[in-house]
Amino acid sequence: MNQIIGLLDCHNSPELGGLTYSRPLASTSFLGRYAFCDFALSMFSNAGVDAIGILVKDHQRSMLKHMGNLMSWTNNTKIGREAIFYNERGILNPAYNTDVANVKENDWVLYDSNATTIVIASPHVVANVDLRPIIEEHIANGEDLTVVYKPIEDADQEFIGAYAYEIGPDGYVTSTGKNAGRKKKANVSLEIWVLKRDLLFEILKAHERVDMSFGFRETMQYILEQGRLKVKAAPWTGYARRFDSFKHYIDYSFEMLDRKVSASLFVPERPIYTLTHDTPPALYGAHSSVSDSMVSNGCIVEGRVKHSIICRDVRIGKDAVVEDSIVFSNVAIGDKAKVKNCVIDKYSVITARHAIEGAEKTPIYLKQGAIL
Amino acid sequence: MSTRLAAMVLAGGKGTRLQSLTKKVAKPAVSYGGKYRIIDFPLSNCANSGITSVGVLTQYESSELNTYIGNGEKWGLNGVRSLTSVLTPKETEEGSNWYLGTADAIYQNIDWLDRVDPEYVLILSGDHIYSCSYDPMLRKHVASGSDCTISCYRVPIQEASRFGILVANDKDEIVEFQEKPKKPISNLASMGIYIFTYKVLRAALIADHKKENSSHDFGKDIIPTMLKEKRKLSVYLYDGYWKDVGTVASLHQANMDLLMSAGTTNLYTVQGDNRIYSEDAHSTPQYIGPSAEVSDSLINQGAQIFGKVRHSVVSGDVVVEEGASVVNSVVMNGALIRKGASVLDAIVGPDTLIDYDEKVNEERDGIALVVNGKAARL
Repeated sequence: MNQIIGLLDCHNSPELGGLTYSRPLASTSFLGRYAFCDFALSMFSNAGVDAIGILVKDHQRSMLKHMGNLMSWTNNTKIGREAIFYNERGILNPAYNTDVANVKENDWVLYDSNATTIVIASPHVVANVDLRPIIEEHIANGEDLTVVYKPIEDADQEFIGAYAYEIGPDGYVTSTGKNAGRKKKANVSLEIWVLKRDLLFEILKAHERVDMSFGFRETMQYILEQGRLKVKAAPWTGYARRFDSFKHYIDYSFEMLDRKVSASLFVPERPIYTLTHDTPPALYGAHSSVSDSMVSNGCIVEGRVKHSIICRDVRIGKDAVVEDSIVFSNVAIGDKAKVKNCVIDKYSVITARHAIEGAEKTPIYLKQGAIL
Repeated sequence: MSTRLAAMVLAGGKGTRLQSLTKKVAKPAVSYGGKYRIIDFPLSNCANSGITSVGVLTQYESSELNTYIGNGEKWGLNGVRSLTSVLTPKETEEGSNWYLGTADAIYQNIDWLDRVDPEYVLILSGDHIYSCSYDPMLRKHVASGSDCTISCYRVPIQEASRFGILVANDKDEIVEFQEKPKKPISNLASMGIYIFTYKVLRAALIADHKKENSSHDFGKDIIPTMLKEKRKLSVYLYDGYWKDVGTVASLHQANMDLLMSAGTTNLYTVQGDNRIYSEDAHSTPQYIGPSAEVSDSLINQGAQIFGKVRHSVVSGDVVVEEGASVVNSVVMNGALIRKGASVLDAIVGPDTLIDYDEKVNEERDGIALVVNGKAARL
């Protein structure tokens, strides 16, 4: 699919509490092995979208580190391209540092390419959507804009603040607004849009005229309200979660320990690609005891781990206990230490015999490099 | 392009004693340590030694191995000044020839070496497990002005008759080479790792090719001839972990060496600064189930453990179901151990199915090998 540009839009990512103080959501660790951006990027890869632009809003360093050689998600390493879009001037005026402004600043990618179709996805909505048929149908029917949505029945709890669509019997959007949690049933946006090249240029133009603080979502909404746009709605009924708070990050992470839930995200025909770290398999000591947990490569576990997610290169000492916790990479937990209901960020050290326990509903967050 | 040191990795052997594990793949491509293939070790060592020109000589069941090696990208051997070539037997003006021996394999690729134009050539075996840098060996070779330096390690004298044994003087110069001697007078065993000064090697290979009664082997022909010709050959003593896994039992043991209970030898301590690189399988995170029991084991990403795994090495995409038990065993990629099954003292090959309540090696008769590929067809 050379005629398609995929844009990973990191401009609208919610904060995940302390986790996103020094990194964007897109490069925040998930399930020990992934960064959030891996899911959207893998959706592009699995649909054969090989020209990828990554719209970075801030924390460029962290994104560049994860993107590595900018080839991890391309099918053809010559034809494929992952370009980092960064709006240098955005930092001077954050309110105007929108995804549209970023694309304008980096529009050489558009002019370099004769792509007819643009696909936009966001890192904070984790899903493994099969984009290929959606894109094919969009092109075949000559649609201007196709939005991907999920019909949910707990809209009073989930996808709050996301766009929700009313959809007519012909499958086109009749009206749209933000989900304020008033109703249980809603067709919520997965923040995946497939649009015609012309429409993208129309958005870029309208943006200047209408409101420069608008992003894609607001500008598209405006064009829609003007009645100048027919929007096709494509349903997705598989796994989709909107990571919009620290609490949701924890809930949705632990939810993945349920095999049924994880099987709905990880499907063999559409693998999730990520950066390799060449770490050896996890090593378990003679007296280790592990249950209901994900453990990444590079870990050495000599203690007890229960209902937890352990990232790469973590050391868990003898007789140490880790329960109901998420431990980020390169953390060391000393012998006989006890960790319960905690989220421990990278490079932290829990010294031997130290005990730290958060409350069940409100886990303790230990920032990167903490030493206890 | 000239280079200082080129590596030639001999990876054409069949590894007959590994039985059905090497029925469809060459020995260097056999799985090891839950994540690796054996050839990852010599190739990672090349990368970690700063070697940029690597020829991999393949012959037996080579398609999977050739695909795996590719352009050397998995070991970073595809950089701007790097060259990784898979060198298979080929048809030439003189006809088509299989590689007749280790020396013949190199002889048939003299053209490749001439193009790379190295000062020195490192000859490696693709089926040895060890982690090191070849740099100290090269420095010694250059400093001593030797024509050939042979890496060796000390074995117990009572076992020395199983090896090619080197006798060296106090200047580390080789005075005698004995292939599997009945009465060994030294315990320095050759590891089959050589650094040659290329000019000398080139001449020796051409001369050997012309000999009708030669078996075209480094140990049997090239080295003895060079000694006879009073060439300067030296030993380089290696004292790290090194394993040549020839049999099912020794492959099993080499895997068990990686466990924490084995003491100091595991992938975390063996590697030191020298990381072992391998393929990234894009598998899902490793999951250990609610009633699983896991101890003293090495388990790769992508494995799902619901049963008991003790003193074992488990590869990616392996599923050990609830109520199944794996003890003192190696389970290779994609295997499925069903509920109620038990695997004891065994190697379970790639994609192998151990069915409900099946008992593998219950009688604990040596190390069992099960290879059936049935899990891939489920």
